[in-house]
Amino acid sequence: MGKYIVKRLVLMIPTLLGVAVLIFFLMRVVPGDLVELRFAGESAFAQKENLDTERARLGLDQPLWKQFLVWIAGVVRLDFGKSMWTGAPIIEEIKLRFALSLQLAIMATIIAVLLAIPLGVLAALKQDTWVDYTVRIVSIAGLATPSFWLGIVFILGLLIVFKWLPPMVYTPFWVNPWQNMLQLIWPALAVGYRYSAVATRMTRSAMLEVLREDYIRTARAKGLWEQLILSRHALKNAMLPVLTVIALEFAFLMGGLVVTEQVFNLNGLGLLFVEAVAHRDYTLTQALVMLVAFVFIFVNFLVDLAYAWLDPRIRFR
Amino acid sequence: MMAVKPAALGEIPEVAERGGWRRAVLEFCRARPLGAIGAVVVLINILVGLGAHVIAPYDPLATDYGAMLARPSAGHWLGTDAFGRDVLSRIIYGSRTAMLVGFACAFLGATLGAVIGVTSAYFAGKVDLLIQRVMDIFLAFPLIILALAVVSILGTGIENVIMAITIPMIPRAALVARSSALAIREMPYVDAARAAGFSHRRIILRHMLPNVMAPYLIMLTAYLGQAILLEASLSFLGLGVAEPTPAWGLMLRGAAVQFAESAPWMAIFPGFAISLAVFAFNLFGDSLRDALDPRLRTQ
Repeated sequence: MGKYIVKRLVLMIPTLLGVAVLIFFLMRVVPGDLVELRFAGESAFAQKENLDTERARLGLDQPLWKQFLVWIAGVVRLDFGKSMWTGAPIIEEIKLRFALSLQLAIMATIIAVLLAIPLGVLAALKQDTWVDYTVRIVSIAGLATPSFWLGIVFILGLLIVFKWLPPMVYTPFWVNPWQNMLQLIWPALAVGYRYSAVATRMTRSAMLEVLREDYIRTARAKGLWEQLILSRHALKNAMLPVLTVIALEFAFLMGGLVVTEQVFNLNGLGLLFVEAVAHRDYTLTQALVMLVAFVFIFVNFLVDLAYAWLDPRIRFR
Repeated sequence: MMAVKPAALGEIPEVAERGGWRRAVLEFCRARPLGAIGAVVVLINILVGLGAHVIAPYDPLATDYGAMLARPSAGHWLGTDAFGRDVLSRIIYGSRTAMLVGFACAFLGATLGAVIGVTSAYFAGKVDLLIQRVMDIFLAFPLIILALAVVSILGTGIENVIMAITIPMIPRAALVARSSALAIREMPYVDAARAAGFSHRRIILRHMLPNVMAPYLIMLTAYLGQAILLEASLSFLGLGVAEPTPAWGLMLRGAAVQFAESAPWMAIFPGFAISLAVFAFNLFGDSLRDALDPRLRTQ
């Protein structure tokens, strides 16, 4: 097992390096740079010398390969430098937003799991009945409804029915948990619905597959209590693919919630990313992409590890 | 992201015989009523998109400052927006944008992905490894973030949005196509083609690609809905289709949120249009998958 873990960890390096190269040069291909954008806002008479001094200050006058080496040397030491736009250290810029995105992702996951597993199991057990059809339609609708629109509908509903709006200013959980929950529960529900739809479908089809296995028939033939068969024999084995989709969705939530964050005025990683790209803030965008890619690759790694742990056949292959 | 399972080999349904199409369609409707409903809604959507100029009661761009934010009424069934433009007409024209983006992205993404995936499987060894590594890098970006990056390079506008949505789809499609092509590569007829001295290109395009048709069609329908959703998200962020082009995501932006309380129809109806269109594509796609992939049939 140890050897397997090391091998998988080493394999992460070339992928991350590829992501680094890709985002670094992608940012430099984008027309217009940060310095031009900043001076364009200030006056139409920006002197060329001013632009050049600013570029030199940010190190943008260096040859590309040199800029890349300086940056990657920092990344290896987990030093992402300062935001080119605000001048604040990137770790500081990301910290609070990361906490928000993480909390939202965890809440959405809890909602999704609570909905998906019972519904998926129920649909599988009552295959081809109206229960199954209802669950399927509800989950296909979940995949079809844009989360950001669902968020707008939630806000609108609260406003019209209860004459109440969720708080629009973020309060960290450790400052005021109640206030924090009042704000984050709505986006978590909006995102959780889609998320649960993905997981419900996977639970249903994994359960159906497992229920047809010989060992389930054997367990039934032994006269085992049906509930025990379902929880111990079927559900446990059906959880592997469900775990995968839950983990992958989780990784996606950690940076992909660009639009929902906009609707709820949440300063999460997604919104930060949009701002960073709009400002051509090279260092911040690069750091964010590396973070999101790392989360994604790491979650994938954890999933593979869980597979190897839960299914010994994979480990010894 | 929904993972599409590759079809089992050798279970690809036979192409309907001449004249058998009608029977195949009827059989599909009988066996999968939900899928048939989905197909009908998809068809309606396509027709509405094509005939938008005939059906729409108003010009989608015509502003009427006398009727700004008007409630739904006999004159404007779904009300008007902040510029006095008819919401229903804009939704009808928006269907044109959505279908165009949906079909273009899904077709390009699934096709290019399938070609890359099959090529990767065919050559195997170092080429396969290299292609897989490059695809891994692209897969490490969340779909929407890659799309955002592409839009910020190319700028907004419908062609660029199509590019931005297609590019992140390719590696995902390649993954699926590769896994089904791996088994096809071992088939005797591929050996035979090689022995007959056919070129790599011919073997890939003529012998292998047609045999990943089932997963290809499944991906195509799954991507249609996703492309429409992504286009709506990008447009909502102001990074997709540009005003004044009627597009559903764009209609939800700005004034729709600002005046949501006094004019909720602006925020509600375009969202319904998106959900309904994607819902229909998914319903149809699911049934198509069940029909094409017998391994999943009983699920």
